[in-house]
Formats: sequence, structure tokens, C-alpha cells
Amino acid sequence: MREKRTGWFSCLIAVLVMIFLLAPLVVIVIASFTPTAVVTFPPKGFSLAWYANIFHSSTHFMEGLGNSLKIGLLATALDVLLGVTAALSICRYDFKGKNALLNYFTSPMYVPSVAFAFVLLQIYSQIGGVPGMLRLFIGHFVIILPYIVRNTVSVLHVFNWTLEDAATSLGANPVQVFFKIPIPLAKPGVLAGALLAFLYSFDEVALSSLLSTPRFITLPIRIMNYMELTFDPTLAAISTLLILGSLILIVLMEKFIGLDMFVK
Amino acid sequence: MATLELKNLTKKFGDFTAVDNMNISVAEGEMIALLGGSGCGKTTTLRMIAGFTEPFSGSILVSGKDVAKIPPYKRNIGIFFQNYALFPHMTVFENVAFGLKLQKLPKNEIKERVESILGLVKLTGFDKRYPRELSGGQQQRVALARALVTRPSILLLDEPLSNLDATLRVEMQVEIKRIQTELGITTIIVTHDHEEAVSLADRVIVMNAGRILQIGSPQEIFDRPASAFVADFMGFSTFIHGTIGLPENRKRPVVCSGHTLFVPEAAAAGLDSGTPCTLTIRSENICLTDEPGENTVSGVVQSATYRGHATRLEVKGCFDEMVYPAVSDYTEKENGNHVLVHFPANRICVYKNTMEEQ
Repeated sequence: MREKRTGWFSCLIAVLVMIFLLAPLVVIVIASFTPTAVVTFPPKGFSLAWYANIFHSSTHFMEGLGNSLKIGLLATALDVLLGVTAALSICRYDFKGKNALLNYFTSPMYVPSVAFAFVLLQIYSQIGGVPGMLRLFIGHFVIILPYIVRNTVSVLHVFNWTLEDAATSLGANPVQVFFKIPIPLAKPGVLAGALLAFLYSFDEVALSSLLSTPRFITLPIRIMNYMELTFDPTLAAISTLLILGSLILIVLMEKFIGLDMFVK
Repeated sequence: MATLELKNLTKKFGDFTAVDNMNISVAEGEMIALLGGSGCGKTTTLRMIAGFTEPFSGSILVSGKDVAKIPPYKRNIGIFFQNYALFPHMTVFENVAFGLKLQKLPKNEIKERVESILGLVKLTGFDKRYPRELSGGQQQRVALARALVTRPSILLLDEPLSNLDATLRVEMQVEIKRIQTELGITTIIVTHDHEEAVSLADRVIVMNAGRILQIGSPQEIFDRPASAFVADFMGFSTFIHGTIGLPENRKRPVVCSGHTLFVPEAAAAGLDSGTPCTLTIRSENICLTDEPGENTVSGVVQSATYRGHATRLEVKGCFDEMVYPAVSDYTEKENGNHVLVHFPANRICVYKNTMEEQ
């Protein structure tokens, strides 16, 4: 048993930090039920009108949500294929420049997304006629790759490769070995990485705002645009729904693979 | 069941020769120990037999057939890995059933065979546990069960007892021997522990730097090592340098630091008179005596270490080298005692000095 050493002062600090983190969220959630046209806190009355407004076609939020999901899911799925194979070969084989390759795959994390978007924009304008969805997809595909590579590598670098020999000696051919040993064991890392990557793509503003075309706009950009023109509680309502969505994802993740994956 | 033959087997990693022209023939149901220090090529040999790594040259014959073209997953060789290599995401049952499921056997047969092998390793009732919920000894028995359940033609054991504490080690030695004899399976065990090798195997192969130094029965290896190097590896600690003389009365004198020790003529066969040589004798065969006589030299006890079954002495002054008798009846507490040390002639091994020892 470890000694209990929490004094009242550290408790107080902890509580203050938690309030600081949670208070804005609580305010937004409560304010989303405001009946008035301006965000007020505490709200005078209760209404779901602003929630209904989200689904109104004039806001284009649903269209934006569709675009965000398309980009996010597609980029995550393809990045899982690329990222997991990259992580496997980096961890599985001993070769020169192994670390350089790992850094190469994670480098998009360290390049400012605005700078990256600027370069992509230059290229697109030189090629010309790149469709809106592809413009965004390429950007997202690159910037979320590090999350999948890193999380998978963090699981695989402690992987005991003798397990593959053991499975082989018991009669498993290379394909069977692959799907029965490293894949199930790397799954928690891959899922955690995929979730982080998807959430990053879903939230992404800087890159998307530069690359999107009027015909293909993601949800965060829709929300930004809406905010510039109108400042009504619809924003609070949609924020509440987004918070709820993330919460559900995290809870599901916790249930199936355990949150401790994220701490690594 | 199968026989195993290695013919001129060689493995190179770049310029480094890990296994150098190895020739072994293992009979059906025989248990062979590959004994050697780390880097002697014993594990590489094992990996070549399993098919994980390809030989540079030479061949491996299982029951007379060359297995070079057979991929490792079709060789039907059971392997016990040093770190057990149990699948952490599978229960004991799933671990043991892994190979049987790949053979697409009917469910009830898989169940029967897993249960019977778990009974053999005394783990009945543990089938739903995960490896992390088992003790080291239990994990080891699961690994053994998993390697045996597919009824392999050959069983390879890589340092099977190195991770266990002393009590468990003795217990598992008995278990492995029991199971191996019961199934009559051709087995190769790789180990660096000479006691493990001599207590388990029918024949022991001592290796160093990729070469075989000696092949023999445990008794031969233990009592009559082929060279001073093997003797050192087998736990001999007293080494005395001397010069051998001409035979007299079926014995040959060896002059060591002014004293003369007599060794049996047979032990020194092939050594010319005047050859510099090394004598060695097991600590437990050296004894203390009250009467001066042949092969008896006086010395001074430098230190005495109580080891339970025997006290190990360091005796100085007999020769230039230190001698290390292990005696069971030494009760003196003080060092500096003068003692008479007797070296029984028939227990002494004689080796011609080789270049590297001089």
C-alpha cells in the first residue's frame, strides 16, 4: 500500500483545473437550450428550436457532416492499411535507416499544417481541375498518418517475434501467422491510432479551410462560416452534439480496448 | 517417430561461421543434448533443424529424407522456446489447440487431445486461464504441451529450464524426462548447463565456436572429457600443469611443480615422454588424508566455503596452481591449516597442452 499524501491544497488545485476544463463545455451545453435568438446564460426558458435549425438545409451542416465523415473515414481506412504495413516492416525487420523511416512517416505531425496546405495549394493550382473532395482527401490522408504509425509502433516494438516462429512450428503458413499473431496483438494500438486519426481529421480546420472549394466543405468549416455571419445558439446546439459524439466514441473505445492505450 | 541426421551442416552469417561442418546422427526416440556456452552455435543448429534459418551448406535428414525444400510450417517439428512464446491473447486451451485447429481436426477430437496432453503435464483444469495468470513453471508446462500435442516427429527444447528456480528445475527435469520416455519422441535439447545435459540426455554433444568438441554418453563426458576445454566446461576446476614421463608399472609419472603424480597408463595414451601436459580432476574426487603416500601432496588451506553437501576448499602450496578439493567431512573453521591432499590416480584426466593453453 502506498502512503496517502494528498493534502487539501493539491485537492483544491485539482478541482480548479477540472472546473477550468469543464466549465466552458457545461456553459455551451446549457446555453444550447436557449429559446432566445442570442446566446444567454443561464437560458431564459427551454427550447429545442436551435437543434431543429441544425437540420435545416439552409445551414448546410448535414451536408458538411456528410463530407467530413466521407473524408475522415476514407482517409483513416486507407491510412490504416498504409500505416500498419509501415509499422510492421519497421518493427519486424532490421535494416539501415529504420529510425529515419519511422521519423519520415511521423514527420507530418511536426510540419505546420498551414505550411503543408500552402504547398498543396500551389501544386493543385498548377495541375488545375483537382476535384474538391480529392483536394481535401490528400491533405487529410497525409496529416493523420503519423497517429496510426506511432500507435501501432508503440504496440509492436515490445512484440515478441518468437511468437511467429512458435505459430510456424505448429503448422501455420505465413498468411495464417500474420492474421493470427501480430494482427490481433497489434489491434489495440491500431484501433487507438485510427480513432485519434479520425477525430483529428473530423476536427481539422486550418488545412481544410485553405483547401476546400465552395462545392466541397467539411463540417468544421461550415461551422466557422456560419459563425462569421450569424451568432445564434445553433452553434451551441451543434457543439453539444459534437461533444456527445466524441464522448460516445471514447466510451465505446474504453469498453472495447481500454483507454490506457492513449496514455502510452 | 523419426531419426535425425545432420550432414556437414554449416551456417555462416557474413564472415562469421556460426556452425562449422557439423555431423550428428540421432536414433529414434533418443534424447540428445547440445551443450555449450552462448554463441557456440547450438541455437543456430536448432533453428536450422526447425527451418527458421537456412543452412549455408550441408543437409538435414529426417528419417532419411532431406528436409531442405520443406517449409518450416510443414516440417512437423515441435519446439519449446526458451521464453515459452505462449500466445498472450489466447487461453491455455487455445494455445494448446492452435496446431490442432490448423490441422482442421474435428472439434471433439481437438478437445480430447488437449485434455489428455494437459493431463500429461499435470495442468488439468487450467484450460480457461491466460498465460499471464500462470506461474513460470505452469507456463512452461503449457509450452511443452503445445509442442507435443501435434505429435511431432522431432521435439526441440531450447534451454527449457533456464528460467526456473532451483526446486522447480529439478522437478521439471524429472517431468521432461518422464514425458519424453513415455512418448518415445526423438528429442534435441539445447542447454548451457552441464548438469541439465547429463541428467536428461542419452548422449551429450559438447560444442564450442560452431564445432563439436566431444560426443559421448553423460558418464563419458562427465568423467572423461576429451579436452581441457571440455573439462573446464563440465565443471572441473583443478588444473595442474606438468611434464609426463615413461611408463612404470602401468602408470606414468607426471612431474608437476617438483612433485610427482602417477596417472593410469590408459589415461595418457599417445603422449610421448617429456610432453608438457595438463592434469585435471573433479573437486569431489580429491580427498584429504592423514597418511603420506603416492599422489599425496601437502598444502595450506586458504579458504573453505561451506556448500551444504560438501565444503569446497582452496588449497595452496601443493603445486604452482591452486587445487580445489570438495570434502564432506571438513569441520575446521580456521584457514591456514596444513593438510595432506590425495589425488586418486584413476580419477585424473591427462591432456596434451594445446597451443592456446600455452
